Amino acid sequence: MALDPAVTAEIIEEDLLRAHVYRLLAKLLRASPDKDTLHSISQLNGDDSELGQALATLAKVAGKVTAEQTAEEYQNLFIGVGRGELLPYGSYYLTGFLNEKPLAKLRKDMAAIGIERRDAVCEPEDHIAALCEMMAGLITGEYGEPLALAEQKRFYGTHVEPWAAHFFTDLEGARSSKLYGAIGSIGKAFMDIETSAFRMLEQ
Amino acid sequence: MSANSKDKAVGRRDFLKLSGVAAAAGGAALVNSEGDAEASEAKEVSSSGYRETDHVKTYYKLARF
Repeated sequence: MALDPAVTAEIIEEDLLRAHVYRLLAKLLRASPDKDTLHSISQLNGDDSELGQALATLAKVAGKVTAEQTAEEYQNLFIGVGRGELLPYGSYYLTGFLNEKPLAKLRKDMAAIGIERRDAVCEPEDHIAALCEMMAGLITGEYGEPLALAEQKRFYGTHVEPWAAHFFTDLEGARSSKLYGAIGSIGKAFMDIETSAFRMLEQ
Repeated sequence: MSANSKDKAVGRRDFLKLSGVAAAAGGAALVNSEGDAEASEAKEVSSSGYRETDHVKTYYKLARF
């Protein structure tokens, strides 16, 4: 991902870091990691924070599983026979059904910002990986100018915050979760941070 | 930006700094930087039997199989 250095300079460092975490989540939730990715994940170190601890756990698990096992885990969690254990879509979490009003609202907001789903993709846009990708893109300005924090906050508050933490908690505790359990913990801790950080902008 | 909202922005930055995002992002950047090319199209296969390729997976998903 090549970023225009002139643009990156205007984004404060902490926000770039947020974008990196979003991208990591998007990458791992979009498809199961291949061997090389698993290997680089296993090299990660965490610190004492909740997020850091979750990251350390992820690294530990990544060192123990194979790409095949992880692919099967992904299959059981999100695809399954009939359906996977979890449905990682905002609309489902918010209304109990897929493709409901929250998706329509998201599409409207995406159109306003100028984001469009790729032709080859057939998942609805409210998939958790898509939302993580969009958050990263909004922070770094992949869809034009980086979005102001207040706007990011609005997008997050409307489309991510109401359900993402619930989803990550479910992922953490899902029956089929091994590697993805740790990813759930990372997501949960990160959503906590995002929610609190956005709240600091208030008033 | 008023002095007050500047304080808030700094508070938020400090909060993010202490939150562990930095540690996570360092690693994330590393992982993100590699293999970002479109998911491998041609996987090496040794058997000619049933293979669960992305196409097959897509079919299952669409058919709600």
